[in-house]
Amino acid sequence: MRERNPDRRRSTVVAALAALCAVVLLSSCAVRTTSMLRDPNTVRIALNGWVGYEASAAVLSYLLEHEMGYQTQLMRIDEQPSWQAMDQGAVDVIVENWGHEDLMELYGPQGNGTVVDGGPNGNKGTLGWYVPEYLVEEYPDIDTVEGIKKHAEIFATSETGDKGQFLGGDPGFVTQDQGMINHFDLNLEIVYAGSEAAQITEVRERYKAREPVLFYFYEPQWLFEELDLVHVDFPDYHEGCDADLKDVACDYPSYDLNKIFRKGFAEEGGPAYRMLDSWQWTNSQQNAVARMIAQEGMDPDEAAEKWVRANPDVWQDWIPAEAQG
Amino acid sequence: MTTARPAPSAPAETAAPSPSGRAPAGGAARRSRGTAWLANRWVQAAAALAVLAAGYAVARALGTPAWLGTFPDATGQWLIARLDGVYTWIVANRNSSPLFLYGLNYVSVGLGSAVVLVNQALVLLTWPGVVFLGTLAAWRVAGWRVALLVLATFAVFALIGLWNEAMTTLALITTSVLIALIIGIPLGILAGRSDGFHRAVRPVLDFLQIMPAFAYLMPMLLLFGIGNPAAAVATFVYAVPPAVRITALAIRNVDAGAVEATTSLGSTPWQILTKVQLPMAKRTILLGVNQTIMLAVSMVVIASVIGAGGLGDAIYQALSKVNVGQAVEAGAAIVLMAIALDRVTGAAGDGTRTPVLPPAWRRWAPAVGLAAAAAVVAAARLAGIEGWPPAWSVSVSGPINTAQQAVQSAIGDATGAFGDLLLVGVLNPLSALLTGAPWWLVVLVAAALGAIFGGWRIAATAGAAVLATGLLGVWENSMDTLSQVLVAAAVTLAVGVAVGILAARSDVLAAILRPVLDAMQTLPPFVYLIPAVALFSVGRVPALAASVVFALPPVIRLVNDGIRGVSAPAVEAAVSQGSTGGQLLTKVQLPLARSSLLLAVNQGIMMVLSMVVMGALVGAGSLGYDVVFGLKQNQLGLGLTSGLAIVCLGIFLDRVTQGRRSHA
Repeated sequence: MRERNPDRRRSTVVAALAALCAVVLLSSCAVRTTSMLRDPNTVRIALNGWVGYEASAAVLSYLLEHEMGYQTQLMRIDEQPSWQAMDQGAVDVIVENWGHEDLMELYGPQGNGTVVDGGPNGNKGTLGWYVPEYLVEEYPDIDTVEGIKKHAEIFATSETGDKGQFLGGDPGFVTQDQGMINHFDLNLEIVYAGSEAAQITEVRERYKAREPVLFYFYEPQWLFEELDLVHVDFPDYHEGCDADLKDVACDYPSYDLNKIFRKGFAEEGGPAYRMLDSWQWTNSQQNAVARMIAQEGMDPDEAAEKWVRANPDVWQDWIPAEAQG
Repeated sequence: MTTARPAPSAPAETAAPSPSGRAPAGGAARRSRGTAWLANRWVQAAAALAVLAAGYAVARALGTPAWLGTFPDATGQWLIARLDGVYTWIVANRNSSPLFLYGLNYVSVGLGSAVVLVNQALVLLTWPGVVFLGTLAAWRVAGWRVALLVLATFAVFALIGLWNEAMTTLALITTSVLIALIIGIPLGILAGRSDGFHRAVRPVLDFLQIMPAFAYLMPMLLLFGIGNPAAAVATFVYAVPPAVRITALAIRNVDAGAVEATTSLGSTPWQILTKVQLPMAKRTILLGVNQTIMLAVSMVVIASVIGAGGLGDAIYQALSKVNVGQAVEAGAAIVLMAIALDRVTGAAGDGTRTPVLPPAWRRWAPAVGLAAAAAVVAAARLAGIEGWPPAWSVSVSGPINTAQQAVQSAIGDATGAFGDLLLVGVLNPLSALLTGAPWWLVVLVAAALGAIFGGWRIAATAGAAVLATGLLGVWENSMDTLSQVLVAAAVTLAVGVAVGILAARSDVLAAILRPVLDAMQTLPPFVYLIPAVALFSVGRVPALAASVVFALPPVIRLVNDGIRGVSAPAVEAAVSQGSTGGQLLTKVQLPLARSSLLLAVNQGIMMVLSMVVMGALVGAGSLGYDVVFGLKQNQLGLGLTSGLAIVCLGIFLDRVTQGRRSHA
């Protein structure tokens, strides 16, 4: 978590809360995880590990702090643990959620009842297999299942021997690659890069040498601003075609990315919640900020400031009327 | 810094028993010439491996029938299902079960709040206040040189724009180290005074030290809650073993005569402890405190995986943008924090560099210091100063990135080719052998190696440890990981012994190496994972390269110290008899430094093992990947069984490589 603009006021609030907490501890023996020190004026945003997410979080955090007088705390944590954090009361909002119906079942109204769906955030998410553009020039059908099947061996590396290498991504992401390989009988072996940083480094090196590479990736993603990448077409997703993860007959679904709120945070319904609730933006808006962060090496906070300065007409509507000014 | 991550046998503990314990046996065997070669342990070990290879060939030739195949995974499936059940239960009952309401939640709320409060205190002090207090304390404890180092460290935090992150990290370290000491030192005293307790607590400490931190992050998250509570407990677990071990050792080493004398004077056990044992053991105990702090620092980055924030978070942030330069900046801040904490606590331990104050001043010094600090804080707060202004930062990430690119284009092709060679020539065949041989044969060979190098008890432990990886349901991954660890350890030892010998023969090289090794040991491996991928391309080779970098420092140090520790008369005698440099090394120095060399082998292997999970972040796969996958996908069963399998491999490798020395 990164603390921003530590404020003198906050120290006193926290001290008061500490005293309160001590009283609570003494007066009742049962302690719930929610009784941890917390400042009601601080919005805690989960920060999942990809730059697009970080761009959204940075802009929202900037608006909350500079236009609405809140403190924000960005808690860097993986996708699934973020839900758990919300369940434990440690996080208020996930600003870009990819599916995870199973987690909604576990923690949502049907389960623990600690989180609520906050509706779409305006971004469209695409997952899938990607190859570099130059490969399509050499093998025109390489962006189709048949092409991958025919030319699988061009992706071979010393890690995979005579099979083609499929480069997996971060272990935290949603995947069905092995099922697709099985169903379409592709002569590929998955090498798990283990982290997005390793995966991107590998793709960049291959790209520089104009070598074949086939990998799991997603949009919106800032790397598309730097490299020309092509999505490999598989039969479109339809409900249930990914039911058996060992045999998947279709491409990944496309996602209307959504927000997830901690139920208590939504029920309190403060200005921060109402701002986050009405916030929506497009992939290109997110990419504009993500590019500044990833490629120009700007601090997320600076990038957010720059975007906010340049686009008041976009964000002014998000801010609830009484919190303006 | 001696070792950033002492493997189960802390050097202090294993170095203590007589170093040449086995020498007579070797001498006896050498005398009976006819069958002497059969008694040679290395010949026996080679024979055991030949049996393994033959078993593999037979299994392949017969088409791998079930009884010659891989480990049946029924037990593993059962275990994983149970653990996943535990996970579901905890999620459903965290705020209703009495276990949590009246137990674990206290810990989590208390710890989480403690970290927040310490952090608030640091914010309250403002940056001039923290700098003033820190430097003053360093000067009082360790003299002006260390005070300057501390000042420089604070300056670096501020100048690279990571002041707030550094304070968050300092808050987490302070909290977890305090808890580690409050719990660890009493346990250590108990272990120092009671043999039974010592025997009971040792395997637990071994276990804690071999268990990869990533593997217990998940249970911590579940039990104590995401963010600071889990991070503080995880850091505590990681850092507490040396506090217990070294305190116990210190108490045990107190001169028995002194204790006896006090006893005969009719002192109570409490008096013996407080008047004799603790004062006499104080220095060694402070060494334990030092080690505890160093381990806590090395957990900083891993703790950020579960939302602890701070400097580790800055590294993650840099990595998500594949910006090596930024990662190096944050890594340098961690290295400096480690070095500063090490020098301050190290000086507190030996107490020789404490500045001498005139007696008249001594009484007033703390009061004056505190008053001055209060004045600085008050002035800073009046002036409205809090965090370091971001505008006053400088960045060196650009040049670092350029340098990395330059190195990459200069040697990238060569390293890539070398990596392919290593993969096809060594890693693939070894992995095929271990995963493809009948599982029971692998277990038997493991036991045989234990018997050869350590005797029957070690054989039983080694066999059982390898068997357990199968029972955990992760046999193939374990064998693949084992093959990677063995190759990385071999490379580490080859390079480390060579460099160590060179360093022992050249004072200049040794002086140059010292700070480099310090930095290598404290720099979070995350920083050099990405350059390793750029050089070797995703897979097992970059993971191997990173673990070699991580494991080299203790090997080089131990070899260097071992050779330098050979007594001068022995060397003199050899030289006066006309030995050449090579003869001196192979006939005198290396044999006499044998115990250090063996310790280096053991430490090298254990350090490589502790990088298994880290390696999975760049494509090493196998056990490490499943540990990370389990953590990130909330799969407790998979993550924990894989983590336990790493512990089993660790026990096997540790016992086989250190068997005779510590149990002789």
